[in-house]
Amino acid sequence: MYVIQNGTLCTMDGQGVIQADLRVDHGKIIEIGSDLPVNGAEVIDAMGKFVTPGFVDAHSHVGGIAESGQADLNEITNPLTPELDAYYGINPQDDIFQTVIQQGITTSCVAPGSANVVCGWVIAYKSAGQHRLVKRPVALKAAMGINPKGCYAPKNQAPMTRMAIANILRTYLRNVQQYRQKKLEAGDDMAKMPPYDLGLEHGIPVIEKKIPLKVHSYMHDMMTLLEIAEEFDILVTVDHAQGASDFLEELRSPQVHGVIFGPTCEPIFPGEGGKLDYECCKALDDEGVRVAVMTDGPVTTVNMLLFEMGECVRRGMDPVRALAMVTSNAAEIVGISDRVGSLAVGKDADILIWSKMPTVATDAILERVIIDGETVYRQD
Amino acid sequence: MLIKNGRVHNGLGDVVSQDLRINGDQIQTIGPNLAALDGEEIFDASGMEIFPGFVQPLSNWGVNGSMTEIRPSSNDNDERSNPIMPELDAFYAFNGRAATAQQLGAFGLTSCGVGPADNNLFGGTIAMFCVDGINPYRMCLKRGCGMMASVTPNLKKTYGSKQQAPQTRMWTFANFSLQLRKAADSQKQSDPSNDTPKDPGQDDKLEALKKVLDGQLPLFVSCDSKTSARQVWDILKDYPQVKLVLVNGFGLTGDEEWIVENKIPLIVRTAASPLDRDAMTLDWNGIAKLWEQGVPVAFSGTYTNGLSAREDMLWNGIEMMKILHDSSAVLPMLTSVPAKIMGVDHLTGSLQEGLRADIVIWSGNPLESYQAHIVRTYQGGRIIYREGDEMKCM
Repeated sequence: MYVIQNGTLCTMDGQGVIQADLRVDHGKIIEIGSDLPVNGAEVIDAMGKFVTPGFVDAHSHVGGIAESGQADLNEITNPLTPELDAYYGINPQDDIFQTVIQQGITTSCVAPGSANVVCGWVIAYKSAGQHRLVKRPVALKAAMGINPKGCYAPKNQAPMTRMAIANILRTYLRNVQQYRQKKLEAGDDMAKMPPYDLGLEHGIPVIEKKIPLKVHSYMHDMMTLLEIAEEFDILVTVDHAQGASDFLEELRSPQVHGVIFGPTCEPIFPGEGGKLDYECCKALDDEGVRVAVMTDGPVTTVNMLLFEMGECVRRGMDPVRALAMVTSNAAEIVGISDRVGSLAVGKDADILIWSKMPTVATDAILERVIIDGETVYRQD
Repeated sequence: MLIKNGRVHNGLGDVVSQDLRINGDQIQTIGPNLAALDGEEIFDASGMEIFPGFVQPLSNWGVNGSMTEIRPSSNDNDERSNPIMPELDAFYAFNGRAATAQQLGAFGLTSCGVGPADNNLFGGTIAMFCVDGINPYRMCLKRGCGMMASVTPNLKKTYGSKQQAPQTRMWTFANFSLQLRKAADSQKQSDPSNDTPKDPGQDDKLEALKKVLDGQLPLFVSCDSKTSARQVWDILKDYPQVKLVLVNGFGLTGDEEWIVENKIPLIVRTAASPLDRDAMTLDWNGIAKLWEQGVPVAFSGTYTNGLSAREDMLWNGIEMMKILHDSSAVLPMLTSVPAKIMGVDHLTGSLQEGLRADIVIWSGNPLESYQAHIVRTYQGGRIIYREGDEMKCM
């Protein structure tokens, strides 16, 4: 048990930003308040420091794409691989997790890569600790646009076009719907039960709106995605989302579970990357759409979250709302806000201690990273 | 044009609260309480910070290629047909409108270097341009800023995978040494005091490298590690007139005495290079240590794969702020130091009377706070970005 004393807590829940102490025991936050009694417990002095929840990276591939380039999260042999599961593609020993921790990322939403139209299950995974799997699945990953067509067109295979991508996605969801219906109708009658299909099984929680379809979707693909989401009444997250500022009204749809913007370490280039509109984050947030930012690491470097939040602040976003994009919002979008994403009693003790407010001060130093109550990184 | 009441960061380490007059494309006067001339436009910069435009020494800005054209092709600064191409000139890779389309002025840049990609042992010469314009001749600040060379594993990736040399570092270094030796021999032959008959065939490759040997063209060498940087230096000991510039800074830890003793300039890339995991191996503390010992340190973005962020210069500065916590120390790394390395410090990279009016007016100090944004950017006295301008879509 220990107490983090006198910090400025960005709680990211109803309490807002408060000056308070925070007590941690057995990996959980058990008390938040002023002048908590210490009773001989260890004290971490956070006077003058900012204390935030551990960052949740809402879209990542860390642990699944090794330094050597070996990619265990992108099975580019079939554009339809819903049966795959990122859980089996991840290497918990990958050195990248050390780098990830130094960026303040305590939980990553690890998805299969976007080579395929339907790519497989997505998991939420901590950067360190004894019990790193937070939730599985958190979503079913899908991809539209240049990645699937760019991977299969050179092989003279479908999808070669955005038309075919829409078709493959729709057909898959229809098959899941029918498969589920047959299972329901069969009930206990094994004779009527359809043959077991793992790929279709993985789609059932999507059709039942228990998890969202997590879709690599830029610009104009968003409209196709919304049409399909409405047709099947499913939840979707719009991932990457460059160009979202052109579709603000449409994205305020009940089907949109969240928008995950980034990574932004790019110039603008023709096609999907034609627009780099940080301003969409503030606009969506103002409209009440859950918005997060991502690293997409290690495809792009994992140090992007602070820059992305910072660039949103530069374009007028409130610094605490910017922080929500990697804490409370990200946790809600990933479906793990019961465990992480805020400093509140009962939540996992995933805590960052900063020298300054990280979404304002460019030279804010991350001094300590705590995961499940254990200090896993100290700056010195 | 008179900019009044701002805090002027001259890019050389000084900050003064003074007024600044632009006349034509130049900074005419910097001083306290300048009185407006008859009919002169006045911009009240109270509470604002006046920066020199960032000078990105190596970039892909204005370079077209695989991500921008109707046929798949390599980027125009990436001639992958022969690893030894010192005779090429990256000036010809530049497309003014392609650079302008990125609206770099909105990110605080006013000039950029375009060099050959580091996939060749000797890639050719580097040129500097303004970021906004059409005609490359009018946009060009300097040609022949240096010779781009590379001893990184990129060579092996580029050629080794095609079953061509180099497949090893051995080939890379043997030929780095050999090409310089050949050029040196050829230099002796062309010396009038040498009575060996002159080689009738002018070899463009040797001619280009001779300019490196006599110090006319600084030699920019992209290195991936402390070891490869040291190996380059050891080879160059035989050629004392060569002006080495180290590119990348990967693996440097700050205790490289030979870099400190010889004050070898360093161009560091980069905060956020997509698809480039080498960039994450950069030891920022090591770079800071070298700077503290007097090594000229400049920052850059990536230039190898056509992808780099328009924010790269600022983001690199922010990474350095986390170590130095002093914007007057960091700003020169984004402005006057790269300008000096590229040989354009008499034109841009600092706010001084007589230099080009390459000026960015920020609402606050962007090296200190994410809340700072650009109010106006001037390139050669011309406004190329104003707060509120529409950001274009490609």
